[in-house]
Amino acid sequence: MLKVENLHASVGDKEILKGINLEVKAGEVHAIMGPNGSGKSTLASVLAGNEKFTVTEGKVEFEGENLLDLAIEERSRKGIFLGFQYPVEIPGVTMANFMKLAVNEHRKARGEEPLSAAEYLKMMREKSAIVELDPKLTSRSVNEGFSGGEKKKNEIFQMAMLNPKLAILDETDSGLDIDALRIVATGVTRLHTPENATVVITHYQRLLDYIVPDYVHILYKGRIIYTGDKTLALKLEKEGYDWLINDYKEE
Amino acid sequence: MQNMVAVSSSGKVGSGRWSLVADHDAQIVVEGGCRAEIIIADSDAVVKLNITVEPNALLSVVHAVTAGGTTTIDYTLLEGASCRVTEVVLTSSELNISARLDAPMASFELDGAFILTGDERGSVKVDVAHNVADCTSRTSFKGVASGRATGRFSGLVYVAPDAQRTNSEQSSRNVVIGDAHIDTLPQLEIYADDVKCSHGATVGQMDSEAVLYMRQRGLSLVDAKRLQIEGFVADVAMHSSISDTAERLTELISAKLETL
Repeated sequence: MLKVENLHASVGDKEILKGINLEVKAGEVHAIMGPNGSGKSTLASVLAGNEKFTVTEGKVEFEGENLLDLAIEERSRKGIFLGFQYPVEIPGVTMANFMKLAVNEHRKARGEEPLSAAEYLKMMREKSAIVELDPKLTSRSVNEGFSGGEKKKNEIFQMAMLNPKLAILDETDSGLDIDALRIVATGVTRLHTPENATVVITHYQRLLDYIVPDYVHILYKGRIIYTGDKTLALKLEKEGYDWLINDYKEE
Repeated sequence: MQNMVAVSSSGKVGSGRWSLVADHDAQIVVEGGCRAEIIIADSDAVVKLNITVEPNALLSVVHAVTAGGTTTIDYTLLEGASCRVTEVVLTSSELNISARLDAPMASFELDGAFILTGDERGSVKVDVAHNVADCTSRTSFKGVASGRATGRFSGLVYVAPDAQRTNSEQSSRNVVIGDAHIDTLPQLEIYADDVKCSHGATVGQMDSEAVLYMRQRGLSLVDAKRLQIEGFVADVAMHSSISDTAERLTELISAKLETL
């Protein structure tokens, strides 16, 4: 589904990604971990198409198509979803109105008719239940005045509405208490199918108790320096990153 | 909009809804203790309206500036009078509003927005005079300008030496798109010492993080920007001082935003 080869990306003069290789197949869950400042969020942003970053080298293919040629909204309509680490507040724009436009843009891209008001309301009700999001929140402005937990639930609600092929979740677990974490993680798991794929970026093993990864990658200084299975996350929880980073330094 | 009665010339108005075509000068008195709503229909003339709100009357006013011209509206509020005004400026024009709080316990509230596009030029001036003690006022005006448009907001809150316990807020928030320009001049002139007055003004670009967020969900750049601006100004319409005009004002604003 996603094939990243030797990806280099910079912001200004500063190179942050220094040759990422990653392949994600349908049905897989990948976790990306690593110390602060290693480039995890940058990788998510670059894959989503944030223009703040410049790709200087490498290739990214999504379902056989060159992803780097596409604008951020085109990537979204092709089925790439980014769960934001810091969801943005948009005063005066209701969730319901915003998501209706988004859902219908996705439908248009697939050559489908816009949803009727009744179909849309039904869809919102069903999808908000997946993350136990209070349906009243959909009549409020996007993320405005939402608690930390509500913001993250709202990200997964949007993911449910847009039904992406590839979801990249950037520290969706940060700032969540244990109940909100369970609800958000369970929501992600329920949305997972053999046809789609999930990449979760996280600092903590605790998210991976719910979202069990097929692969765990360690990102350090802009490169994936180690790839293992779910037991790698447990080892990191106990032993930290030092043993890996030290190995890497010696290479 | 039923039971609407036109105010064609100067005179007294009581409870009910009135329409006023702003194509001639007028002197209007809102009778004490009543609840009146006045919807002002715009014209391109130069007009001056004097509106006196008698004791304990509650007046709500909605005015959409769609024809241009120069409109001056002077409100005089007597004891315990309340006045809530919604102004939406959608074309080149000059709008001068003054409110004189001449007796205690009077309250004046103004919520407004201007949206200017292309080569339009608009100016909004709001002067609020707290002439006596124990009155409140709140002015909140939002501005959007795109293309080569120029917008200007100037607001003055005057607090007379004896106007103790005045409570006044004034805010001017503006978004500039492209080569457009907005000036904002909020001013306070305070001669009393026991007062609570705040004012603030901002002129900014679009919030690029919000636009990026919306695009990540599949909205085009144009739609994301329009939605954001709509959100910024829509609450002026949504909280219109005459609630059943909200829908009409929202339509006017949406149509104007199509031309951004």
